[in-house]
Amino acid sequence: MESPLDWLMLTPSLRCRQVTAALRRMAGLRCSLPPPRAALLRSITDPQGKEVLDRGLVIWFPAPHSFTGEDSVEFHIHGGTAVITAVLQALGSVPGMRPADAGEFTRRAFQAGKLGLTEVEGLGDLIHAETEAQRRQALRQMSGELGHLYQDWSHKLKRCLAHVEAFIDFSEDELIEDGVLNQVDRSVCNLQAEMERHLKDERKGERLRSGVQVVIAGATNAGKSSLLNKLCQRPAAIVSPIAGTTRDVVETALDIGGFPVLLSDTAGLRDSPDLVEREGVRRALERVEQADLTLVVVDCAHVPADAQQAAAFLQGHLRSVLPTVKQRETDRCLLVLNKTDLLPEDERRTLDEELRQVSGLPPVCLISCHTNEGLQDFLTLLHVRVKTLCGDPLSGAPTLTQARHRAHLQQCVAALAQYKHYRNIDLALAAEGVRLALTSLGRITGRVGAEEILDIIFKDFCIGK
Amino acid sequence: MLSKKPPLLQSFLSLVSRRVSHLAQQQYDVIVVGGGHAGTEAAAAAARVGAETLLVTQKINTVGALSCNPSLGGVGKGHLVKEVDALDGLCGRAGDWAGIHFSILNRSKGPAVWGPRAQLDRQRYREFIQSELLSTPGLTVLEGSVEELLVTEPNPEEPGRHRVTGIRLANGSHPISASSVVLTTGTFLSGSLFMGQTTSPGGRIGDAPSSAGLSHTLRERLGLRIGRLRTGTPPRIVKDSVDLSLADLHPPDSHPTPFSFLNTRTRCKPEEQLPCYLTRTNAGVERVVRESLHLNHHIQEDIKGPRYCPSIESRVLRFPGRRHQVWLEPEGVTSDLLYPQGLSMTMPPDIQLRLIREIPAMHRAEIHTPGYGVQYDFVCPTQLSPALQVKSTQGLFLAGQINGTTGYEEAAAQGLWAGVNAARWARAMPPVALSRTESYIGVLIDDLVSRGVTEPYRMFTSRAEFRTYLRPDNADLRLTLKGFEEVGCVSSLRYQEAVRVRDSLQDALAALQALAQSSSKWRKKLPDIRMSENKCTILSGVELLQHNVSFEMLASAFPECLSPYIEFSQRLNIEAVYNLHCDKQKKEMERIQKEENMSLPQDIDYFSLPVSLSQEVREILDRVRPSTLGSAARLHGITPAAVVNLLGYVVHTGQRERIRHRNQPDQKEEKEEEHSARNASLPQ
Repeated sequence: MESPLDWLMLTPSLRCRQVTAALRRMAGLRCSLPPPRAALLRSITDPQGKEVLDRGLVIWFPAPHSFTGEDSVEFHIHGGTAVITAVLQALGSVPGMRPADAGEFTRRAFQAGKLGLTEVEGLGDLIHAETEAQRRQALRQMSGELGHLYQDWSHKLKRCLAHVEAFIDFSEDELIEDGVLNQVDRSVCNLQAEMERHLKDERKGERLRSGVQVVIAGATNAGKSSLLNKLCQRPAAIVSPIAGTTRDVVETALDIGGFPVLLSDTAGLRDSPDLVEREGVRRALERVEQADLTLVVVDCAHVPADAQQAAAFLQGHLRSVLPTVKQRETDRCLLVLNKTDLLPEDERRTLDEELRQVSGLPPVCLISCHTNEGLQDFLTLLHVRVKTLCGDPLSGAPTLTQARHRAHLQQCVAALAQYKHYRNIDLALAAEGVRLALTSLGRITGRVGAEEILDIIFKDFCIGK
Repeated sequence: MLSKKPPLLQSFLSLVSRRVSHLAQQQYDVIVVGGGHAGTEAAAAAARVGAETLLVTQKINTVGALSCNPSLGGVGKGHLVKEVDALDGLCGRAGDWAGIHFSILNRSKGPAVWGPRAQLDRQRYREFIQSELLSTPGLTVLEGSVEELLVTEPNPEEPGRHRVTGIRLANGSHPISASSVVLTTGTFLSGSLFMGQTTSPGGRIGDAPSSAGLSHTLRERLGLRIGRLRTGTPPRIVKDSVDLSLADLHPPDSHPTPFSFLNTRTRCKPEEQLPCYLTRTNAGVERVVRESLHLNHHIQEDIKGPRYCPSIESRVLRFPGRRHQVWLEPEGVTSDLLYPQGLSMTMPPDIQLRLIREIPAMHRAEIHTPGYGVQYDFVCPTQLSPALQVKSTQGLFLAGQINGTTGYEEAAAQGLWAGVNAARWARAMPPVALSRTESYIGVLIDDLVSRGVTEPYRMFTSRAEFRTYLRPDNADLRLTLKGFEEVGCVSSLRYQEAVRVRDSLQDALAALQALAQSSSKWRKKLPDIRMSENKCTILSGVELLQHNVSFEMLASAFPECLSPYIEFSQRLNIEAVYNLHCDKQKKEMERIQKEENMSLPQDIDYFSLPVSLSQEVREILDRVRPSTLGSAARLHGITPAAVVNLLGYVVHTGQRERIRHRNQPDQKEEKEEEHSARNASLPQ
C-alpha cells in the first residue's frame, strides 16, 4: 500500500446486534465472525449504500484479549483524508456507534486493569505524539524506563521505612543493629538529592511533550516575519498553523530535527501612539518573558561598523527587547542579524569575525532571508539549542514528562525534609515523613501496604517476642 | 479500680457457688465460651452493654490466667491496652493492680509510639479479673466443658445460612440457650502439645483438652474454613538457681505510669517494683539446638512458623552466629520462678536443661516446668464481619487466638468488641464497627477480616496508617465518648471523666492560643528559652509548645490562666505538636471513613456483577467477601481500576437502597452528623 496505514478506533458496543451486523456488512463478512486476531484483507463497504470505500485489513479481537479488554474490531485503512472521512461517516451512520472520547480507549484499558498508571500516561503521549522524538520518549515511558526509576526510588524508600519502623517497633526488645538509623539518614539524603536533581531538569520532558516555546522578537522591519516564513518553508519542517488567539502574536507549530517547536512571531517593538499597537508590544514582551528561547532579530544596517560600538549597540538592543532576561542568561536567546545581502561582502565578514570575539553576547548569526545566506548555519544552531532544551530522550536519566509526576515528587522531597527535621526530636514524626514520601511516590508507582514493610522488616532483622 | 480490694478467698468461693447455683436459669442473652483474655473481656463487655451473660470455662480457677509471659503492653500492644481501657475493659486496670515493674518503652522515640508495659504478678492478675467478673451485674460464671454448639435455621430477615441458639455441655445436662455465643477457645480448639518427640492433646499444659465436638461443629455443620497455627512457651526457671550477677540489670521506671485512664497510681509502690535481667545466647546454645534437631518433632515440622515470637530453635536456624537476647522476667512478688523470654523451645526436657545451662547466668539453673509447643485450629478470620460475627452464622462471634492472633492484648481487644456486638445482637441492636482511622482495635479487626492471616497476627505500630493520631495518650478522647454514646459499653462514671478531660484540654488549648505576644515579650517572660531574634513575630502559647517549650514552663510564667490545667501538662505538650500533623491526615482519614461506610452486600455474586472486573479480581472478592469498599481496596491483588468500578457499583446500588428504605438511612445520617459535630468539638 502506498500510504501508511491508519489505525482507527471507535467504540462499538458489540452486545448490540445491530452494530455487529453493520460491522459485518462493512467488512463483507456474511455469517460467522472471523478468526480472532487474524488480519483479513477485505473490501470495506458502506453498510447502507454498499459502496466500496477502501480495501484494507480487518482484525477481530474478542474480549478479553483486546487492548481495552472488551470486544473490538480494528479497520486498517489507507491514510488519505477522503478515505478516512468516508469510513468514519459510514461508521457514524450505524445506530449505536459513536466516536470515542479523547483518551477513552486508554481509560477503558486502564479500568480493565490492562495498563498501569504510568503506562497509561505513556500511551496517552504516544497517541498524541506528533513528532519522532515525542514518540521515542513516550515509548520509553511505556516500556517503563521512567517507571523503573520511580520503582527504584520506591524500593529504596521502602527499605528506609522498614528500617525506621523496625527500630520503632522492635528495638526495645530486640537486637536491632546499631547504625540502622544512620544508614537510613544516608539513604534519605541521597534520595532527596537525586529527586531534586531530577526535578531540576528544567522542564525538559514537559517541553518535549508540549513543544519548545521559541519567540521571534525585535524592532519593526527587522525581518521577523520573513524569518518565520523561511523557517516554515523549510522542506524538513512540518507546518501546522494554529490560529492565534491574539491578533498580534502568530503561532506556528513546527518540527526542528525531530523536536516539537512552537514558534511565535510578535509585533515589532517600538513606542507607538497607537493603542492597539502598544497592546501588541506589551503582549510581545510578555511572550518573550515566557519563552524558552528568543530569537532577537536585528536589521544589520543599524549595527555600527566598528566592532566595539557594534557590541555596545547589540547589548543595548538586547536590554530593550529582553528587559527581564538577565544578561547572563545568554543561552536563552540567539541574535539574528538579518539582511546581510544589503552589506558589502568585506564589511559583512569583518562584522561576523569581530562579533565572534566579543564576550557577553549570545551567539550571533548573520543571515539573509532574501538570499538564504547563513540560514543553514542558523538552523543547525537552532537545532542544537532545541535539542538541549528538550534533552535527548534516548540518553541520560529519564526526564519528567508529567506535571502530575512533578507535583508528587515535590511532595516526596518535602516529606523527606520532615524526616530530617524530626530525626532527633521525635522518631514517630520522622517516620511519618518517610511514610508521606512513600505515599507521594506511590501515587505514581502504586500503593505500598504495611504488609510489604513488615516483610522487609522480618527479612532484614531477627525479631523475637 | 484500685481502691477495690479483691475478695478474700473465702468470700470469693462463696461468690462462685452463688453464681453457679443461679444456673437454674437455662436462657441467656450471651454465652461466652472460654475464660482467657478474650473471654473475660467479652463477658464483661456484654454484661456492660446490658446482656444477661454466662461465661463458661473449664476451670474457674484459671479464669484470667496468664498462660505464657507475665507481662502486659509494649509497643503497639500497649496501645491496645489503653484502648480496651478507654472502652471500660478490664485488662488496663488489672495491669495496674498486678504490675510489679512498669516502664514506658520507646520513651525517646516520640509519644505516638510510646509503649506502656508492665511485668505482672500472675496471681494478682487472676485475682483481679476473677473478682471483677464475679461482681459484674448480669454476669454468671459456670465451670464446664462445652460439647457442642446448637445451630438451627437462620432468621430469614438477616443474612446468613445458620443461626446459633445455644450450647450443650459435656456432662450431658440439658442445653443452655442464648441469642449469641462468643467462642474464645484460645489454643484449645483441637490443640496438641509438643515436647521432644511426644505429642499429647491439649491447649495448655496441666489442663484437660477441650472436647472435639466444638471443632466438629465449626468444620462440618457450619462449613467454616479452618487453618492450623503453632506457638510455644519457654521453660520456667527456678529463680534461686540463677546467678543474676552474670546478667544485666534492667530496673523499671522510677515512677510507674498506670495503664488505666481512671488510675493516677499503680498498686505497686515505686520502690516495691522488681527488676528484669538481660542475658544473651551464645555458640553453645546454637550447638545444642543443632544437635537435638532430630529429637524435636515440633521444630522439624516448623516450616512456616511465625516470623515474630519464634522459638529459639527457629531463631538460631534462621539467623545463625548471632547472640539473641534472653530476658529474665519476674513472675510475681512471691513467685520463686523466672520467665526466660526469648527461649521458647520444644525439645525434650533434658536437652532444654542442657541448653539453658550454656548461658553463663544459668549455668546451674533448674527448670521448674519445661517449655513446649502448641498447635491449634483457628477459623480463617476473613469469614467474619467487622463486628467479629461469623458471616454465615447469625449470633456466633469469635475472638482471640481462634481468629489467628497471638498475644493477650490482641485477644482482649477482640474479646471486648465481640462481647459488645454479641450483646447488641441479642438485644436486636445493629452491629457496630471501629474504623482503622480511630483505633488500633479497628486496625486489628480490619486486618483480620479483610486480609486474613497466614501466621499468628500481632499488633505493631507500623500497621496503623494514622499512627500520629492513634496515640496511647488520647485513647480516651478517641473511644470513651463513642463507647458511651454509641456503643453502650462505658460506664457513666468513666464517661463523665472523659468529658471533663476533653473540655479541660479544649479550654487549655484555647487559653494557650489566646496567649499570643511578640517574641521579645516572650523572651522577657521566659529568659531561659532560646528564640529567634526576629522581634516582630507574634507567637501563641500553642506555637511555643510546638517549639519544645513545656507547658509547665508556660504555666509557671502565667499561673493565673494556665495553672488550672497543670494536671494535663504532658497531654498538652503532646497535643500541641501532634495536632499539626493530624490535621494533614484529615483528608485521607475522611476518604477511608467514606469507603468504610460504603458497604458491599454479603450476598453479591461477584462472578456475574455487571461491572468491568478481571476474573482474578472477581475470584479474590468472591473468596474474601469484603464487607466494605474500604476493605476491598486493601485486599492484595485488587487493582485501583477494580476499586473505581466497584465504587461505581456501590454508589449506584446505594442510591437504589436509599429509595427502598427511606427511614433507616435518615437516622444513620443524623447519627453521623452528631458524630462529626462531636469530633469537631474535640481539642484540635
